[in-house]
Amino acid sequence: MSGATETTATETTATETTVFDRLRADTRDAGALCRTELRARARNIRGEPRQLLANAFMLLLFGVGLPLLALGPALSYGERLASGPVPAGQSGAVVATVAVVGVYLGGAGGFNQNRIGSVGPLVRTSIPPRAVALGRLVSETAQASVLVVPPWVVLLCVVAVGAVNPLPAVLLTLATLPMLVTSLLVGRVLGDAVRFVSRTIGFSLWAKALAFFVVTTVFYVGSQALIESRIGDSEGLGSFSIPPLLPGEPLQAYAAAVLDPLGAAGRPLGLLTALVVLVSAPVALAVALRAEVGLLTFESSGSSDERDVASGTRNVPRPFTATPSARVAWRYLLRTRRDPRMLAHLSPMLFGAMAMAASFVTEPRSLLLLGPGALVVGGTTLAGAAFCLNPLGDDSDQLPLLLTSTSSVGVLLRGRAVAGLVPGLVLAVGVATPLAVYQHGVLAAVGQTLLAVALAVSSAGTALGIGALVPKFERREYMNVERSHPSTVAVMAFFFGGLVVGAAGILLLFGTLGGASLPVVAVGWAVYLLVVAAPPVVGYVYAVRKFDALTLDDV
Amino acid sequence: MTAPSSALVARGLTKRYGDTTAIESLDLDVDRGVVYGFLGPNGAGKTTTMHILTGLIEPTEGEAWVADTPSSNRRELVDRIGHLPEEPPLYDELTGREQLQFAADLRDRPWDEVSERALGYCDALDLTGDLDRRIDGYSTGMCQKTAFVQATQHDPDVVFLDEPTSGLDPRAAKTLRELIVDLAADDTTVFLSTHILPVVEEIADEVGVLHDARLVAEGSPEELVGDATSDGRLGSNAGGGAETGEEADLEDAFLALTSEPEAAWQS
Repeated sequence: MSGATETTATETTATETTVFDRLRADTRDAGALCRTELRARARNIRGEPRQLLANAFMLLLFGVGLPLLALGPALSYGERLASGPVPAGQSGAVVATVAVVGVYLGGAGGFNQNRIGSVGPLVRTSIPPRAVALGRLVSETAQASVLVVPPWVVLLCVVAVGAVNPLPAVLLTLATLPMLVTSLLVGRVLGDAVRFVSRTIGFSLWAKALAFFVVTTVFYVGSQALIESRIGDSEGLGSFSIPPLLPGEPLQAYAAAVLDPLGAAGRPLGLLTALVVLVSAPVALAVALRAEVGLLTFESSGSSDERDVASGTRNVPRPFTATPSARVAWRYLLRTRRDPRMLAHLSPMLFGAMAMAASFVTEPRSLLLLGPGALVVGGTTLAGAAFCLNPLGDDSDQLPLLLTSTSSVGVLLRGRAVAGLVPGLVLAVGVATPLAVYQHGVLAAVGQTLLAVALAVSSAGTALGIGALVPKFERREYMNVERSHPSTVAVMAFFFGGLVVGAAGILLLFGTLGGASLPVVAVGWAVYLLVVAAPPVVGYVYAVRKFDALTLDDV
Repeated sequence: MTAPSSALVARGLTKRYGDTTAIESLDLDVDRGVVYGFLGPNGAGKTTTMHILTGLIEPTEGEAWVADTPSSNRRELVDRIGHLPEEPPLYDELTGREQLQFAADLRDRPWDEVSERALGYCDALDLTGDLDRRIDGYSTGMCQKTAFVQATQHDPDVVFLDEPTSGLDPRAAKTLRELIVDLAADDTTVFLSTHILPVVEEIADEVGVLHDARLVAEGSPEELVGDATSDGRLGSNAGGGAETGEEADLEDAFLALTSEPEAAWQS
């Protein structure tokens, strides 16, 4: 009996040692992977001036721009912390902001696992999946933190200046740091969950895209409606606090508990919340690691689109048979029909659409009034953004074919433009024109249609120029899609530019129809048409010249 | 310099990347209607040479002509060449047939004009039954076959093939070798880069061996083996057929040539 007990004890010790050793080895491997990924990323940024510039701009934007925006409220908050009772609402809002930012960053990291395709084989052949998951989690969190930490440190300093005392900033750090870590990890779990559902669900890719759009729109519109109903009469962001919203109470209590040395009334709820926050971090870490290990080694059965590759050949239909460019355009549309992930870079447009949807929910009368114009702006922006913002970069894997098959890439570029014009004009003319006829009359509808066509063509040409200016040939993951996405800066600049130019055109059109003075209208249209006509011409010519001279050395 | 009449000519081709020289003073003369096997160890500069000849990159120095067209003139060159790179440049979302039609459209060649030839190759390669399936469901070999048809369906003057038998099963590889010989018989010049030396030995009319960025040998496979044997190089090479008393082959000659880069020689 005694011998058996001794044996069991020895085995237990051996097992514990093995588990401990494995954990230590995984941590060591994770550290190596993390260092390698961070070093590779740093070299990548340093080695490419464009990347360096983009990252410097982002750091400036977040490290200086953001704190400048919040300078006044942060100073005033510091003063209030030092002078009187701790403002519970604002303190809760501060903690909530950190939590939201953390959940967002963690969620985005879990959903968009960069270069997961290149790590897959590594995990199966060299280091253990847990080490890969841990290494990537730490590396991606560190990269995301680069954008969050500088503004946060600056704002804490501003609070300290406002309070003329470093203690509030120290206490706020104590309150927000655990919240940031926990929310990052909880967000990571949520992102992993969405990723898992996306990979396992048997819907077609289009159904998934639609479901994503509907769910996010409903969530966004719902949250907007809720905020509107609760703080619609408040004095603005400066006095914004979260007591009316559901999680406000525990977060305020949590902030009060940590800020107790400043005279806040700490309550048991605050301590309980703090305990939940602290306990949630390791739990979320364990869950995230387990989920990501599962995802790394998970063999997806694929969506119905992915499984059903016996889709049959589709011949080019009329009128796409007319020219080589039109035939090329049809192939782009066909490819997109089969794999909507080609349009993943358009997701910021979805967020814009969500904002419009929220406006229509809160102000239903604006739907018909603004709807046609919004569709023109959205449709014409789509015409350029869909296929023209990274021409040839998007086809980087096929460049040896494209460059040795076409006497000029013009045929490809025009094909991309035509492909973008199809969905763009469906929205900007096909949907917007009947609505305009109903709401504004025939004359306005005709004017709006002409404007839409001109803007769509302009949008396509301009996008080609922008895409040629900042082509992106390297693959990266965005919105859970790994491909050569267009430059983020190019996409955002194009969207905002399209919004401004489109809105200006609509205003000018309705100003003209509304009887504005003739000289003003004439000058307005002359300037506007120049703005609409010049960029696409210059952009198209530049794109053709640049890509006709493209070699694989440039890629 | 006027354009020479050979199918493929290179004079002093040099390509440098910073301090690294990918190819150095490369001279080539390849006649029409021959299969030219282009051999060399990894990193010798084969793909770089092929990229220059197809106009995909520019040389640092030197010039090249393909079918009487300067390789720098991509606009003119595309009508005369076909290119199968190491990674088949295909679109996963298209079917094989759509891909071939797309490639014809890129060259502004009506599908009706090229389909007979393309479908004939597909038949020979046993690909016809899969032409209406999407490429993302293709095996490596099927992708390779599709890319081969894509590179040759428009009847080019010169075809550049980079490891064309990669991923093919023995039967398909044999068919492909026969198609390459047929291409040459129809007066198409085939510039063939591969590591599979028996393939080159079987079908190449001429062979060039690139080593350390330089062309270290050129001639027919028999000439290369003969010269290496008469030079006594094969005797010093472990593992060669000469050592075991068997008849030396191209592999032995290749190993001998690429183990002594200093002693460049031409047959």
